[in-house]
Amino acid sequence: MKNVKNTFLLMAGAAAVALSAAMVNAGEMGKYAPLAPLGDPPIPLDNKQTEAKVELGKILFWDPRVGGDASTACVTCHEPDQGWAFGDSLSRGYPGTVHWRNSQSVINSAYLGQLFWAGAAASLEKQAPSAAKGAVAGNGENDVMETRLAFIPEYRKRFKEVFGTEYPLIGDAWNAIAAFERTLIVNDTPVDKYLAGDKSALTEDQVAGMELFNGKAGCIQCHNGAQATDENYYNLGVPPAERWEEDGLAQVTFRYEIYAKGVTQDMYRELKDDPGLYFRTKEKADMGKFRTPPLRYTLYTAPYMHNGAFWDLEEVVQFYNAGGGENDFTDGTMASTKTSKLKPLGLNDEEVAQLVSFLEAFSGDELRVEPPVLPPYEALASE
Amino acid sequence: MKMSRFKRGSALTVGAALLSATVLAGPVMADEMALGPVVGPEVNAAKAELGKRLFFDKRLSGDAAISCATCHQPEKGFADGLPLSMAYPGSKGFRNTPTLINTALAENWFHDGRIGTNLNDVTRESITEDYSMNMDMRLMQERVKQDPIYVEMFKAAGYGEPSNGSVRKAIPEYLKTLISKGAPFDTGSMSDAAKRGQELFEGKAGCSSCHNGPRLTDDKAYNIGVAENPEIWSDPMRHMTYAAFASFMGVENYMNVRRDVGAQIIRHPADGSDIGKFNTPTLRELKYTAPYMHNGTFDTLFEVVAFYNAGGGEDANKDERIKPLGLTFAEQKDIVAFLEALSGDPLTGPEYVWEGPISTNYPAIENWREVQN
Repeated sequence: MKNVKNTFLLMAGAAAVALSAAMVNAGEMGKYAPLAPLGDPPIPLDNKQTEAKVELGKILFWDPRVGGDASTACVTCHEPDQGWAFGDSLSRGYPGTVHWRNSQSVINSAYLGQLFWAGAAASLEKQAPSAAKGAVAGNGENDVMETRLAFIPEYRKRFKEVFGTEYPLIGDAWNAIAAFERTLIVNDTPVDKYLAGDKSALTEDQVAGMELFNGKAGCIQCHNGAQATDENYYNLGVPPAERWEEDGLAQVTFRYEIYAKGVTQDMYRELKDDPGLYFRTKEKADMGKFRTPPLRYTLYTAPYMHNGAFWDLEEVVQFYNAGGGENDFTDGTMASTKTSKLKPLGLNDEEVAQLVSFLEAFSGDELRVEPPVLPPYEALASE
Repeated sequence: MKMSRFKRGSALTVGAALLSATVLAGPVMADEMALGPVVGPEVNAAKAELGKRLFFDKRLSGDAAISCATCHQPEKGFADGLPLSMAYPGSKGFRNTPTLINTALAENWFHDGRIGTNLNDVTRESITEDYSMNMDMRLMQERVKQDPIYVEMFKAAGYGEPSNGSVRKAIPEYLKTLISKGAPFDTGSMSDAAKRGQELFEGKAGCSSCHNGPRLTDDKAYNIGVAENPEIWSDPMRHMTYAAFASFMGVENYMNVRRDVGAQIIRHPADGSDIGKFNTPTLRELKYTAPYMHNGTFDTLFEVVAFYNAGGGEDANKDERIKPLGLTFAEQKDIVAFLEALSGDPLTGPEYVWEGPISTNYPAIENWREVQN
């Protein structure tokens, strides 16, 4: 059913493009879920929110002992004063490494059905261990991380209270971290207020920006619904990360990733750009595709795109205005998968500025929390 | 390998038969149990040179903070001089770092003997183990590939392009160069005290029932009742490292273990009869490798000899052969003199040590887009 609908939409889209390269017609716009106020996040039935669990998850989020050499916590690459992300093109990575993708904000990650740029984790509970264990992220191992928790009396007490176990289990640590992350919600931005009926929440320029977003600029084709993402995967032609060409450490990580994720020998030799969704599906048609990111809070999360190619929102809008870009998966080098949704938009400077001001109004106030005090290790008496 | 194991087995049977009759006597020992100079294996110089650089390269650990040589220091007999070893940052060791000198001739490795295949596996274990070097070897391979010096050295060694498989071959090749040399025992320059000590060692004291062959070890595990090093259980970082290890090894009720189970982790006999067994260590190069025992609880060789003279320590599984020896003070000193005569020249200097700087920066491959990965 879904597929039939998509095909129909694609055909309709193609027809619209044939009529006007610069605009998606108004009739078609109505086919996308409109932007809407963001309600409360879904809570999985098997990991319900409790105050004690959230508090435990918050401490763990800050605790570098949940990692390899006890230097790298969740918060290390998801810093509250950097938009709960990391303010560099490629994320910081474990000591001795650099990561290979841009760190995404944790804010509103609770709403996403798939985490990571190519959707490799289906829940926050699955995302946390992948990050804590990856060699260029946390580089931790379950046995060591779990045992460390057992030697921290405060954790023994808290895990017992929340999960009923004698000693902390690492799987419960991921559950607690996920529960904490589900409290990092920003759903009261000026755009949310406007969409909820407060017409004074946006300036005229921002309203004009929203109209462009829904119309001439065609952003709504993918950034739709309450989350402003269809959670689908596209190749926009974002250029490859510059650091892969200039920085030896980044080259090491790039090769490591394609080696570790499992590609053919030929692919390992030839790839010079991140094939994204391809790692999951192994379909050539998915090369270079990444998930449409949500747009709330983006004012604080520069740089943008899966490899941090753009440093401010205007650059991003101009990229779309030019009809996207080129990479190894658009020009036939490895594939030709660029989405047909992108065409030059013909936005003038004023319109670009209006779109940017709309995006800024999608961000609201910064969310800050009081960092927790990390509890110490203590010797363990035998039972 | 299989053949030599078979032969060793039959030698032991002879030894056991002798034991039941009397204390082991030297002259009837099988050939391979005879004490004598250590003869190193053939070494491929280019491969060993590559292995040497890798051994001293901190980029072989997860966060690039430690190398093999961090714990296996040349000037300390390729051990570290500590009772309990260091570990990967964030963990602390729970056993004494063993020497790597003559390790190329061993039949199994680690104090519990848990690896009995070859140094290739030992290298893998040491590089990848969480509390050891915590390295994802796929990342290690790509680090090594990024260093033009390694690219040349791997080629020169006949390995082609750097790979994690070749790292695991090159380091063992380097370890083959770490062979004892110049010990008074080998050069025939032992003192009279040392000579008397050797007689006791092979006779009255019965040391050679386990400490035999050129490396003075039978590569087997026994329980001699060495007391626990309490620091393993009082220092939470050591204890948690042990507990993580025990958990991974499938030790029952591992959170409540307060005695290092040793070789039990290999076969897990239901009656726990391997608990507290540790491999017979080599007695070569002891001059450089204090403190002693798997948990570093003895600071001096005299303490060790006195321990055996007293009939070892307390343990339900203690080997029957460990009995009070009735050695006089002078006899104990003589045995120490013999043990000291088993240490040779330090394996330091450029032949054994990569002395050049190893940059931890990675130069960019300049025409990156044009060349194959």
